[in-house]
Amino acid sequence: MSTSINHADPAVVVPQLQRPLKQLPSEPVINIKPPQVWEKIDFRQLWSEREVLYFLMWRDLKVRYKQTILGAGWVILQPVLMTIVFGIFLGRLIKVPSDGVPYPVFAYTGLLLWTFVSNAVLSSCYSLVINAHLITRIYFSRVLIPTSTIGVRLIDLTIAFAVLVLMMVYYRVPISWGLLLLPAFVIHAAMLALAVGLFGAALNVRYRDVGTLAPILLQVWMFASPLVYSSSIVPAHLRLWYSFNPLVGLVDGLRAALLNLPIPWMSVMLSGVVTWPLLVIAIHVFRRMERSFADEI
Amino acid sequence: MRPIIQVQNLGKKYLLAPRETVAPTLREALKASLRNKTQALLSRDGSHHPTVWALKDINFEVYPGEVVGIVGPNGAGKSTLLKILARITSPTTGEAHLYGQTGSLLGVGTGFHPDLTGRENIYLNGAILGMNRNEIARKFDEIVAFAELEDFLDTPTKRYSSGMYLRLGFAIAAHLEPEILLLDEVLTVADSRFQTRCLQKIKEAGEHGTTVLFISHNLISVNQLCSRAFHIDGGRIQAAGETESVVEHYLKSVVAAPNNAI
Repeated sequence: MSTSINHADPAVVVPQLQRPLKQLPSEPVINIKPPQVWEKIDFRQLWSEREVLYFLMWRDLKVRYKQTILGAGWVILQPVLMTIVFGIFLGRLIKVPSDGVPYPVFAYTGLLLWTFVSNAVLSSCYSLVINAHLITRIYFSRVLIPTSTIGVRLIDLTIAFAVLVLMMVYYRVPISWGLLLLPAFVIHAAMLALAVGLFGAALNVRYRDVGTLAPILLQVWMFASPLVYSSSIVPAHLRLWYSFNPLVGLVDGLRAALLNLPIPWMSVMLSGVVTWPLLVIAIHVFRRMERSFADEI
Repeated sequence: MRPIIQVQNLGKKYLLAPRETVAPTLREALKASLRNKTQALLSRDGSHHPTVWALKDINFEVYPGEVVGIVGPNGAGKSTLLKILARITSPTTGEAHLYGQTGSLLGVGTGFHPDLTGRENIYLNGAILGMNRNEIARKFDEIVAFAELEDFLDTPTKRYSSGMYLRLGFAIAAHLEPEILLLDEVLTVADSRFQTRCLQKIKEAGEHGTTVLFISHNLISVNQLCSRAFHIDGGRIQAAGETESVVEHYLKSVVAAPNNAI
């Protein structure tokens, strides 16, 4: 190494500035450290990045409809087709009980919610890998990527909800004050999807098996939830265990709120007891793993 | 004067074998982690995979308004350094403190979606890089004019040439106006006219008080642009100081390298 220069050299050439420099803040704006066991969640930063969330959602919606003919119709197609198929086989031929509600309405409410949860979880699982080009080159809170996919699916849910309104008018299903609980159930569903989706997304970065496994597990989850059958067919002594599936309270609760049925508080509570801690754990696991996403993706 | 960037003892260790070859599936990962746990108990050292320090013992300070060039051969650790400062990857050791908002351009057209038009991508990319909607709307015309893409605004960027892609990407990043700007070899595919304009833009940014860290293999532009430079090789800072002597130091090391016989 030449003697005149070394990296401890304090002789800094200060450039001639045309504008006086702004006073530097006394505390660093950004602190960079090796990964910690518990990474703090910086809510201020998340709030400042809300437009990134908006633009990621905007991008996905824009791109999705760019080269399609059916456009938003695709969102309705999935739950409607499933309702027709289950309506014929389970509703007409096997005649499964549907809590006194016309079977198509009963099934559609369940499948509507399921379409949201399963699509949100799946697209969240794949989201980080699909956006690898962003993760390896630009810094922003990584949690916004899976969150934005869930936001997009919420918009899908709203569109598919319009079909339910038409069905309820057609079948003359009365509404009740329970309808006021609808937003709470939708938020609950989004948090459940986010919790599962964050786990899936983070794990899929390291183990692509997750992307293959997820559809299979979702299939199992679907039939373990009262979507196309009523949870009343589950024997009473197993009902408590059954309700540890957070979708049980969610689906039954949503249905009760929409279709003027008694709210099953026990399973709704249990669903919350499972969902909220799961979300907290998911966020922390994600925070811990995100520091190495760029190296592993 | 206080530094705007403080880097202390920064180091980054990479697994030499990619994780896929270490644990290709979840099942093997679980098996391996069990095995590692037991081995770790025996040997006190959990990692048995070959590793490499891409960066080690990096210490420096950069003062507000400096334009600092980073030179060195491929694989020296230059990009890793900027990736750490841009918070894309995390260091293994050490700390860095940045006393200003940071913007970075570490690749061409990063954040563009090929199916979106140029106009849409300006908004998308601007937002991801940290601008808000009003800011983008305000600078929109300037960005388009700098990129010289007025006629292609409503064309999907997948139909752009790589030069157009680069121009748009650089134009957006150049209008970020961060306090610290990190640039990694972004001008490689630009023609000389656009390169000149980009270098002019970087120079102006420095004159207006932006602190710039600038990786380049174009030593002429480093010489023109930078008041100070670092020569990085083998993950360490080999020389730091006044640009010309650092560039000279780098060139000497290239000539001295044994595998350089042509």
